Amino acid sequence: MRDLNRIIRSLAYILELLVLFMLQETPGLLPPVYGVRPVLVLPAAAVIAMLEDETGAMAFGVAAGLFCDFGYSGVLGFHALVMGVLCFGVSLLVRAFLQVNPVTAVLVGIGVLGVMFGAQWLFFYFFNYSSPGYALRIHYIPKYFYTLIFVPLLYLVNKALAESLPSGA
Amino acid sequence: MRDFLKGSSFKVLAITVVVLLGLIIYTASAGGSLIASLLGFVSAPMQSVATEVTDNVTEFLDLDGLSKDELKGMVSALQEENSQLHDKLIDYTQTKQENERLKVQLHISEQAPETEMRSASVIGRDPNDPFSGFSIGIGTLSGVSEGDPVITDKGLVGIVSRAYATTSKVDCLLSEDVKVAAVSIDKQESGLIGCNITMASSGLLRLSYLKGETAIAEGDIITTSGEGGVYPANLKIGTVQSVEKSETDVSKYAVIRPFEDLSSVKEVQVIISFPGQGEDDAVTAEPGPDDSEEDGE
Repeated sequence: MRDLNRIIRSLAYILELLVLFMLQETPGLLPPVYGVRPVLVLPAAAVIAMLEDETGAMAFGVAAGLFCDFGYSGVLGFHALVMGVLCFGVSLLVRAFLQVNPVTAVLVGIGVLGVMFGAQWLFFYFFNYSSPGYALRIHYIPKYFYTLIFVPLLYLVNKALAESLPSGA
Repeated sequence: MRDFLKGSSFKVLAITVVVLLGLIIYTASAGGSLIASLLGFVSAPMQSVATEVTDNVTEFLDLDGLSKDELKGMVSALQEENSQLHDKLIDYTQTKQENERLKVQLHISEQAPETEMRSASVIGRDPNDPFSGFSIGIGTLSGVSEGDPVITDKGLVGIVSRAYATTSKVDCLLSEDVKVAAVSIDKQESGLIGCNITMASSGLLRLSYLKGETAIAEGDIITTSGEGGVYPANLKIGTVQSVEKSETDVSKYAVIRPFEDLSSVKEVQVIISFPGQGEDDAVTAEPGPDDSEEDGE
Protein backbone atom coordinates (compact mmCIF):
# COMPACT_ATOMS: atom_id res chain seq x y z
CA MET A 1 0.00 0.00 0.00
CA ARG A 2 2.80 2.36 0.94
CA ASP A 3 4.66 1.52 -2.27
CA LEU A 4 1.48 2.27 -4.16
CA ASN A 5 1.34 5.63 -2.41
CA ARG A 6 4.86 6.33 -3.50
CA ILE A 7 4.04 5.48 -7.13
CA ILE A 8 0.95 7.70 -7.08
CA ARG A 9 2.92 10.51 -5.44
CA SER A 10 5.65 10.24 -8.05
CA LEU A 11 3.11 10.39 -10.86
CA ALA A 12 1.51 13.41 -9.20
CA TYR A 13 4.92 15.14 -9.06
CA ILE A 14 5.55 14.45 -12.74
CA LEU A 15 2.08 15.75 -13.62
CA GLU A 16 2.73 18.80 -11.46
CA LEU A 17 6.01 19.51 -13.26
CA LEU A 18 4.28 19.12 -16.64
CA VAL A 19 1.48 21.51 -15.67
CA LEU A 20 3.95 24.04 -14.26
CA PHE A 21 6.00 23.78 -17.44
CA MET A 22 2.92 24.58 -19.50
CA LEU A 23 2.03 27.48 -17.22
CA GLN A 24 5.48 29.01 -17.51
CA GLU A 25 5.64 28.52 -21.26
CA THR A 26 2.16 29.77 -22.18
CA PRO A 27 2.48 33.30 -23.53
CA GLY A 28 0.43 35.88 -21.63
CA LEU A 29 -0.65 33.58 -18.80
CA LEU A 30 1.74 34.73 -16.07
CA PRO A 31 2.16 38.50 -16.15
CA PRO A 32 5.68 39.69 -16.91
CA VAL A 33 7.35 41.80 -14.23
CA TYR A 34 10.19 44.00 -15.49
CA GLY A 35 9.84 42.05 -18.74
CA VAL A 36 10.53 38.64 -17.19
CA ARG A 37 8.38 35.68 -16.22
CA PRO A 38 9.03 33.02 -13.55
CA VAL A 39 10.48 29.55 -14.16
CA LEU A 40 8.11 27.45 -12.07
CA VAL A 41 9.54 23.96 -12.53
CA LEU A 42 12.79 24.81 -10.76
CA PRO A 43 11.39 25.78 -7.34
CA ALA A 44 8.93 22.89 -7.61
CA ALA A 45 11.79 20.41 -8.05
CA ALA A 46 13.68 22.05 -5.16
CA VAL A 47 10.79 21.66 -2.70
CA ILE A 48 10.07 18.11 -3.90
CA ALA A 49 13.73 17.34 -3.17
CA MET A 50 13.16 18.37 0.46
CA LEU A 51 10.39 15.78 0.78
CA GLU A 52 11.92 12.80 -1.04
CA ASP A 53 14.96 10.57 -0.61
CA GLU A 54 18.06 11.55 -2.57
CA THR A 55 17.51 9.22 -5.55
CA GLY A 56 13.90 10.34 -5.98
CA ALA A 57 14.91 13.97 -5.49
CA MET A 58 17.54 13.64 -8.18
CA ALA A 59 15.06 12.02 -10.59
CA PHE A 60 12.57 14.87 -10.21
CA GLY A 61 15.40 17.39 -10.49
CA VAL A 62 16.49 15.77 -13.75
CA ALA A 63 12.88 15.78 -15.01
CA ALA A 64 12.44 19.49 -14.19
CA GLY A 65 15.79 20.24 -15.79
CA LEU A 66 14.86 18.36 -18.96
CA PHE A 67 11.70 20.45 -19.24
CA CYS A 68 13.83 23.59 -18.95
CA ASP A 69 16.30 22.26 -21.51
CA PHE A 70 13.50 21.47 -23.93
CA GLY A 71 11.86 24.86 -23.47
CA TYR A 72 14.98 26.95 -23.70
CA SER A 73 18.18 25.81 -25.25
CA GLY A 74 17.55 22.70 -27.29
CA VAL A 75 20.79 21.38 -25.79
CA LEU A 76 19.33 18.69 -23.57
CA GLY A 77 21.09 17.84 -20.36
CA PHE A 78 22.52 21.07 -18.96
CA HIS A 79 19.64 22.09 -16.69
CA ALA A 80 18.93 18.40 -16.02
CA LEU A 81 22.49 17.84 -14.83
CA VAL A 82 22.64 20.90 -12.59
CA MET A 83 19.16 20.35 -11.14
CA GLY A 84 19.80 16.62 -10.64
CA VAL A 85 22.94 17.26 -8.60
CA LEU A 86 21.39 20.18 -6.69
CA CYS A 87 18.26 18.22 -5.75
CA PHE A 88 20.37 15.24 -4.68
CA GLY A 89 22.35 17.59 -2.42
CA VAL A 90 19.23 19.29 -1.08
CA SER A 91 17.69 15.95 -0.14
CA LEU A 92 20.84 14.82 1.68
CA LEU A 93 21.20 18.17 3.42
CA VAL A 94 17.60 18.32 4.59
CA ARG A 95 17.67 14.75 5.90
CA ALA A 96 20.95 15.26 7.76
CA PHE A 97 20.85 18.83 9.07
CA LEU A 98 17.61 20.70 8.41
CA GLN A 99 13.95 20.64 9.31
CA VAL A 100 11.27 20.54 6.66
CA ASN A 101 9.42 23.81 7.09
CA PRO A 102 8.58 26.91 5.01
CA VAL A 103 11.67 28.82 6.15
CA THR A 104 13.94 25.98 5.06
CA ALA A 105 12.04 25.84 1.76
CA VAL A 106 12.73 29.50 1.11
CA LEU A 107 16.41 29.05 2.03
CA VAL A 108 16.65 26.05 -0.28
CA GLY A 109 14.91 28.06 -3.01
CA ILE A 110 17.36 30.94 -2.59
CA GLY A 111 20.30 28.56 -2.94
CA VAL A 112 19.02 26.31 -5.74
CA LEU A 113 17.64 29.13 -7.89
CA GLY A 114 20.76 31.21 -7.31
CA VAL A 115 23.05 28.41 -8.47
CA MET A 116 20.78 27.46 -11.40
CA PHE A 117 20.28 30.98 -12.77
CA GLY A 118 23.93 31.80 -12.09
CA ALA A 119 25.01 28.75 -14.10
CA GLN A 120 22.52 29.64 -16.83
CA TRP A 121 23.87 33.17 -17.06
CA LEU A 122 27.48 31.98 -17.02
CA PHE A 123 27.24 29.15 -19.55
CA PHE A 124 24.48 30.38 -21.84
CA TYR A 125 24.97 34.14 -21.77
CA PHE A 126 28.36 35.27 -20.46
CA PHE A 127 30.45 33.28 -22.94
CA ASN A 128 28.17 33.88 -25.92
CA TYR A 129 26.67 37.36 -25.95
CA SER A 130 27.49 41.00 -25.29
CA SER A 131 26.75 43.09 -22.17
CA PRO A 132 26.52 40.21 -19.64
CA GLY A 133 26.28 42.63 -16.71
CA TYR A 134 23.29 44.35 -18.27
CA ALA A 135 21.65 41.00 -18.99
CA LEU A 136 22.19 39.95 -15.39
CA ARG A 137 20.57 43.15 -14.17
CA ILE A 138 17.55 43.27 -16.45
CA HIS A 139 16.83 39.58 -16.98
CA TYR A 140 18.45 37.11 -14.60
CA ILE A 141 18.10 38.94 -11.26
CA PRO A 142 14.45 39.98 -11.79
CA LYS A 143 13.67 36.42 -12.94
CA TYR A 144 15.39 35.04 -9.83
CA PHE A 145 13.30 37.11 -7.42
CA TYR A 146 10.07 36.61 -9.38
CA THR A 147 10.59 32.83 -9.32
CA LEU A 148 11.48 32.90 -5.64
CA ILE A 149 8.02 34.27 -4.80
CA PHE A 150 6.46 30.95 -5.79
CA VAL A 151 8.58 28.83 -3.40
CA PRO A 152 6.27 29.05 -0.33
CA LEU A 153 3.17 28.23 -2.38
CA LEU A 154 4.85 25.27 -4.08
CA TYR A 155 6.17 24.09 -0.72
CA LEU A 156 2.67 24.07 0.79
CA VAL A 157 1.19 22.20 -2.20
CA ASN A 158 3.90 19.54 -2.26
CA LYS A 159 4.00 19.18 1.51
CA ALA A 160 0.27 18.52 1.52
CA LEU A 161 0.69 16.01 -1.31
CA ALA A 162 3.51 14.19 0.50
CA GLU A 163 1.53 14.02 3.76
CA SER A 164 -1.61 12.76 2.08
CA LEU A 165 0.32 9.98 0.33
CA PRO A 166 2.98 8.87 2.84
CA SER A 167 5.42 6.11 2.04
CA GLY A 168 7.35 3.75 4.32
CA ALA A 169 10.60 4.93 5.86
CA MET B 1 31.69 9.83 3.97
CA ARG B 2 33.15 6.50 2.91
CA ASP B 3 29.76 4.86 3.48
CA PHE B 4 28.12 7.50 1.36
CA LEU B 5 30.58 7.00 -1.51
CA LYS B 6 30.00 3.23 -1.37
CA GLY B 7 26.23 3.62 -1.15
CA SER B 8 23.86 2.87 -4.00
CA SER B 9 22.48 6.42 -4.15
CA PHE B 10 25.94 7.84 -4.91
CA LYS B 11 26.40 5.27 -7.68
CA VAL B 12 23.04 6.30 -9.16
CA LEU B 13 24.12 9.94 -9.00
CA ALA B 14 27.43 9.18 -10.73
CA ILE B 15 25.71 7.19 -13.47
CA THR B 16 23.13 9.96 -13.98
CA VAL B 17 25.84 12.61 -14.26
CA VAL B 18 27.73 10.57 -16.86
CA VAL B 19 24.55 9.90 -18.88
CA LEU B 20 23.53 13.57 -18.81
CA LEU B 21 27.03 14.69 -19.84
CA GLY B 22 26.76 12.30 -22.77
CA LEU B 23 23.34 13.74 -23.60
CA ILE B 24 24.72 17.29 -23.55
CA ILE B 25 27.55 16.36 -25.91
CA TYR B 26 25.21 14.43 -28.20
CA THR B 27 22.52 17.12 -28.50
CA ALA B 28 25.09 19.93 -28.77
CA SER B 29 26.73 18.19 -31.71
CA ALA B 30 23.81 16.40 -33.37
CA GLY B 31 21.10 19.04 -32.91
CA GLY B 32 17.52 17.79 -32.54
CA SER B 33 17.14 14.62 -30.57
CA LEU B 34 14.65 11.87 -30.00
CA ILE B 35 14.05 12.96 -26.40
CA ALA B 36 13.24 16.52 -27.45
CA SER B 37 10.81 15.24 -30.07
CA LEU B 38 9.15 12.97 -27.49
CA LEU B 39 8.82 15.87 -25.05
CA GLY B 40 7.33 17.87 -27.90
CA PHE B 41 4.78 15.13 -28.63
CA VAL B 42 3.67 15.25 -24.98
CA SER B 43 3.70 18.97 -24.35
CA ALA B 44 2.77 20.55 -27.71
CA PRO B 45 -0.97 19.64 -27.78
CA MET B 46 -1.46 20.81 -24.19
CA GLN B 47 0.54 23.98 -24.81
CA SER B 48 -1.58 24.73 -27.90
CA VAL B 49 -4.80 24.44 -25.92
CA ALA B 50 -3.45 26.50 -23.01
CA THR B 51 -2.20 29.21 -25.37
CA GLU B 52 -5.48 29.39 -27.26
CA VAL B 53 -7.53 29.69 -24.07
CA THR B 54 -5.18 32.37 -22.72
CA ASP B 55 -5.31 34.30 -26.00
CA ASN B 56 -9.10 34.30 -26.03
CA VAL B 57 -9.33 35.46 -22.42
CA THR B 58 -6.67 38.13 -22.95
CA GLU B 59 -8.38 39.40 -26.09
CA PHE B 60 -11.71 39.61 -24.27
CA LEU B 61 -10.20 41.46 -21.32
CA ASP B 62 -8.20 43.81 -23.55
CA LEU B 63 -11.31 44.89 -25.48
CA ASP B 64 -13.26 45.49 -22.30
CA GLY B 65 -10.34 47.36 -20.74
CA LEU B 66 -10.35 50.20 -23.31
CA SER B 67 -12.06 53.40 -22.25
CA LYS B 68 -14.32 55.47 -24.53
CA ASP B 69 -11.65 58.16 -24.96
CA GLU B 70 -9.04 55.55 -25.84
CA LEU B 71 -11.36 54.05 -28.44
CA LYS B 72 -12.06 57.49 -29.90
CA GLY B 73 -8.34 58.22 -30.08
CA MET B 74 -7.74 54.89 -31.73
CA VAL B 75 -10.44 55.52 -34.35
CA SER B 76 -9.15 59.00 -35.21
CA ALA B 77 -5.58 57.69 -35.50
CA LEU B 78 -6.75 54.90 -37.78
CA GLN B 79 -8.75 57.34 -39.91
CA GLU B 80 -5.68 59.53 -40.34
CA GLU B 81 -3.55 56.54 -41.23
CA ASN B 82 -6.24 55.38 -43.65
CA SER B 83 -6.19 58.74 -45.39
CA GLN B 84 -2.40 58.59 -45.78
CA LEU B 85 -2.63 55.05 -47.08
CA HIS B 86 -5.18 56.15 -49.71
CA ASP B 87 -2.66 58.69 -51.02
CA LYS B 88 0.03 56.04 -51.08
CA LEU B 89 -2.34 53.65 -52.86
CA ILE B 90 -2.82 56.12 -55.69
CA ASP B 91 0.96 56.43 -56.08
CA TYR B 92 1.30 52.68 -55.91
CA THR B 93 -1.35 52.07 -58.58
CA GLN B 94 0.25 54.56 -60.94
CA THR B 95 3.72 53.08 -60.35
CA LYS B 96 2.39 49.56 -60.86
CA GLN B 97 0.75 50.50 -64.15
CA GLU B 98 3.94 52.16 -65.32
CA ASN B 99 5.91 49.10 -64.23
CA GLU B 100 3.61 46.82 -66.24
CA ARG B 101 4.01 49.02 -69.33
CA LEU B 102 7.79 48.98 -68.97
CA LYS B 103 7.81 45.22 -68.52
CA VAL B 104 5.91 44.80 -71.77
CA GLN B 105 8.24 47.21 -73.56
CA LEU B 106 11.39 45.50 -72.21
CA HIS B 107 9.98 41.95 -72.64
CA ILE B 108 10.51 41.05 -68.97
CA SER B 109 8.52 38.03 -67.89
CA GLU B 110 7.55 37.61 -64.25
CA GLN B 111 8.83 34.55 -62.42
CA ALA B 112 6.18 32.20 -61.12
CA PRO B 113 6.05 32.44 -57.34
CA GLU B 114 7.66 29.40 -55.79
CA THR B 115 7.51 30.40 -52.15
CA GLU B 116 6.01 27.70 -49.98
CA MET B 117 4.74 28.52 -46.52
CA ARG B 118 3.20 26.80 -43.51
CA SER B 119 0.96 28.51 -40.94
CA ALA B 120 1.73 28.00 -37.27
CA SER B 121 0.67 29.24 -33.87
CA VAL B 122 3.07 30.37 -31.18
CA ILE B 123 2.56 27.76 -28.46
CA GLY B 124 5.27 28.75 -26.02
CA ARG B 125 7.63 31.46 -24.88
CA ASP B 126 10.32 30.26 -22.55
CA PRO B 127 10.98 32.55 -19.59
CA ASN B 128 14.65 31.56 -19.67
CA ASP B 129 15.23 33.15 -23.07
CA PRO B 130 16.40 36.77 -22.69
CA PHE B 131 15.80 37.43 -26.41
CA SER B 132 12.05 36.63 -26.65
CA GLY B 133 12.45 33.42 -28.65
CA PHE B 134 9.36 31.26 -28.99
CA SER B 135 8.09 27.80 -29.92
CA ILE B 136 5.65 27.05 -32.74
CA GLY B 137 3.32 24.09 -33.09
CA ILE B 138 4.75 22.60 -36.29
CA GLY B 139 8.00 20.77 -36.96
CA THR B 140 9.82 18.50 -39.34
CA LEU B 141 6.68 16.43 -39.97
CA SER B 142 5.18 19.56 -41.60
CA GLY B 143 8.29 20.21 -43.67
CA VAL B 144 9.89 22.75 -41.35
CA SER B 145 13.66 22.65 -41.06
CA GLU B 146 16.33 24.63 -39.25
CA GLY B 147 17.08 27.94 -40.94
CA ASP B 148 13.59 28.53 -42.33
CA PRO B 149 12.52 32.20 -42.13
CA VAL B 150 9.48 33.01 -39.99
CA ILE B 151 7.19 35.90 -40.90
CA THR B 152 3.83 37.48 -40.12
CA ASP B 153 1.68 39.70 -42.30
CA LYS B 154 3.62 42.65 -40.83
CA GLY B 155 7.04 41.32 -41.79
CA LEU B 156 10.00 39.17 -40.81
CA VAL B 157 10.09 37.99 -37.18
CA GLY B 158 12.87 35.41 -37.02
CA ILE B 159 14.33 32.10 -38.07
CA VAL B 160 13.80 28.47 -37.05
CA SER B 161 16.76 27.53 -34.85
CA ARG B 162 15.69 23.99 -33.87
CA ALA B 163 13.15 21.77 -35.60
CA TYR B 164 11.71 18.75 -33.81
CA ALA B 165 9.00 16.40 -35.02
CA THR B 166 5.95 18.42 -34.02
CA THR B 167 7.40 21.64 -32.64
CA SER B 168 10.12 24.11 -33.58
CA LYS B 169 12.12 26.76 -31.78
CA VAL B 170 12.30 30.20 -33.36
CA ASP B 171 15.03 32.74 -32.68
CA CYS B 172 13.43 36.13 -33.19
CA LEU B 173 15.14 39.19 -34.65
CA LEU B 174 15.88 40.44 -31.12
CA SER B 175 18.36 37.59 -30.65
CA GLU B 176 22.06 38.29 -31.00
CA ASP B 177 22.31 35.04 -32.97
CA VAL B 178 20.17 36.36 -35.82
CA LYS B 179 21.75 38.47 -38.57
CA VAL B 180 19.81 39.61 -41.62
CA ALA B 181 21.11 41.30 -44.76
CA ALA B 182 18.81 44.29 -45.17
CA VAL B 183 18.31 47.21 -47.49
CA SER B 184 16.52 50.54 -47.39
CA ILE B 185 13.97 50.46 -50.19
CA ASP B 186 13.93 54.26 -50.32
CA LYS B 187 17.69 54.86 -50.49
CA GLN B 188 18.91 51.47 -51.77
CA GLU B 189 21.58 51.35 -49.07
CA SER B 190 22.26 48.06 -47.42
CA GLY B 191 23.49 46.92 -44.04
CA LEU B 192 23.22 44.12 -41.55
CA ILE B 193 20.32 43.84 -39.14
CA GLY B 194 21.31 42.60 -35.70
CA CYS B 195 20.52 43.18 -32.08
CA ASN B 196 21.98 43.11 -28.60
CA ILE B 197 20.45 42.82 -25.14
CA THR B 198 20.27 46.58 -24.58
CA MET B 199 18.31 47.16 -27.79
CA ALA B 200 16.31 43.95 -27.37
CA SER B 201 15.02 45.18 -24.02
CA SER B 202 13.48 48.15 -25.88
CA GLY B 203 12.23 45.98 -28.76
CA LEU B 204 14.52 47.71 -31.27
CA LEU B 205 16.94 46.44 -33.92
CA ARG B 206 20.23 47.77 -35.25
CA LEU B 207 21.10 48.19 -38.93
CA SER B 208 24.90 48.23 -38.90
CA TYR B 209 27.68 48.95 -41.41
CA LEU B 210 26.10 52.01 -43.00
CA LYS B 211 28.44 54.44 -44.71
CA GLY B 212 29.54 57.52 -42.77
CA GLU B 213 27.68 59.71 -45.25
CA THR B 214 24.60 57.50 -45.34
CA ALA B 215 21.41 58.98 -46.78
CA ILE B 216 19.21 56.76 -44.65
CA ALA B 217 16.95 58.86 -42.47
CA GLU B 218 14.15 58.56 -39.95
CA GLY B 219 11.04 56.95 -41.42
CA ASP B 220 12.80 54.94 -44.15
CA ILE B 221 11.48 51.43 -44.62
CA ILE B 222 13.94 48.55 -44.21
CA THR B 223 13.43 45.17 -45.92
CA THR B 224 15.47 42.04 -46.42
CA SER B 225 17.89 42.25 -49.34
CA GLY B 226 17.95 38.51 -50.12
CA GLU B 227 21.75 38.45 -49.96
CA GLY B 228 23.14 35.11 -48.86
CA GLY B 229 20.00 33.16 -49.71
CA VAL B 230 18.96 32.80 -46.06
CA TYR B 231 15.92 35.08 -46.32
CA PRO B 232 13.83 35.94 -49.38
CA ALA B 233 14.24 39.49 -50.65
CA ASN B 234 11.74 42.25 -49.88
CA LEU B 235 10.41 40.98 -46.57
CA LYS B 236 9.43 43.98 -44.46
CA ILE B 237 11.45 44.44 -41.26
CA GLY B 238 10.76 47.90 -39.86
CA THR B 239 11.25 51.64 -40.10
CA VAL B 240 14.26 53.74 -39.21
CA GLN B 241 13.81 55.47 -35.87
CA SER B 242 17.17 57.25 -35.80
CA VAL B 243 20.66 57.14 -37.31
CA GLU B 244 23.61 57.08 -34.92
CA LYS B 245 27.40 57.10 -35.21
CA SER B 246 29.06 53.74 -34.57
CA GLU B 247 30.94 53.46 -31.27
CA THR B 248 33.89 51.65 -32.85
CA ASP B 249 34.56 53.14 -36.30
CA VAL B 250 33.51 55.84 -38.78
CA SER B 251 30.45 53.96 -39.98
CA LYS B 252 26.94 54.66 -38.81
CA TYR B 253 24.09 52.48 -37.71
CA ALA B 254 20.34 52.93 -37.81
CA VAL B 255 17.98 52.10 -34.97
CA ILE B 256 15.07 50.16 -36.46
CA ARG B 257 11.62 49.79 -34.95
CA PRO B 258 10.20 46.49 -36.27
CA PHE B 259 6.75 46.52 -37.85
CA GLU B 260 5.81 43.51 -35.75
CA ASP B 261 5.82 43.51 -31.95
CA LEU B 262 8.36 40.70 -31.67
CA SER B 263 7.68 39.92 -28.03
CA SER B 264 3.98 39.19 -28.51
CA VAL B 265 3.64 37.45 -31.87
CA LYS B 266 0.84 34.87 -31.86
CA GLU B 267 0.40 33.57 -35.41
CA VAL B 268 3.25 33.12 -37.90
CA GLN B 269 4.07 31.70 -41.30
CA VAL B 270 7.17 29.57 -41.86
CA ILE B 271 8.73 29.90 -45.32
CA ILE B 272 9.88 26.36 -46.02
CA SER B 273 11.14 27.11 -49.54
CA PHE B 274 11.64 30.19 -51.68
CA PRO B 275 13.39 31.07 -54.92
CA GLY B 276 17.11 31.53 -54.35
CA GLN B 277 17.15 29.67 -51.04
CA GLY B 278 20.70 28.74 -50.09
CA GLU B 279 22.23 30.68 -52.96
CA ASP B 280 24.91 33.25 -52.27
CA ASP B 281 23.75 35.75 -54.87
CA ALA B 282 21.04 38.30 -54.36
CA VAL B 283 17.52 37.23 -55.17
CA THR B 284 16.08 40.14 -57.09
CA ALA B 285 13.64 40.08 -59.96
CA GLU B 286 14.72 43.36 -61.50
CA PRO B 287 18.12 43.62 -63.19
CA GLY B 288 19.10 46.83 -61.38
CA PRO B 289 22.58 48.33 -61.17
CA ASP B 290 24.92 47.28 -58.37
CA ASP B 291 24.77 50.55 -56.55
CA SER B 292 25.40 49.30 -53.07
CA GLU B 293 27.84 47.10 -51.23
CA GLU B 294 26.08 44.33 -49.41
CA ASP B 295 27.13 42.67 -46.21
CA GLY B 296 26.84 38.91 -46.12
CA GLU B 297 24.74 37.02 -43.64
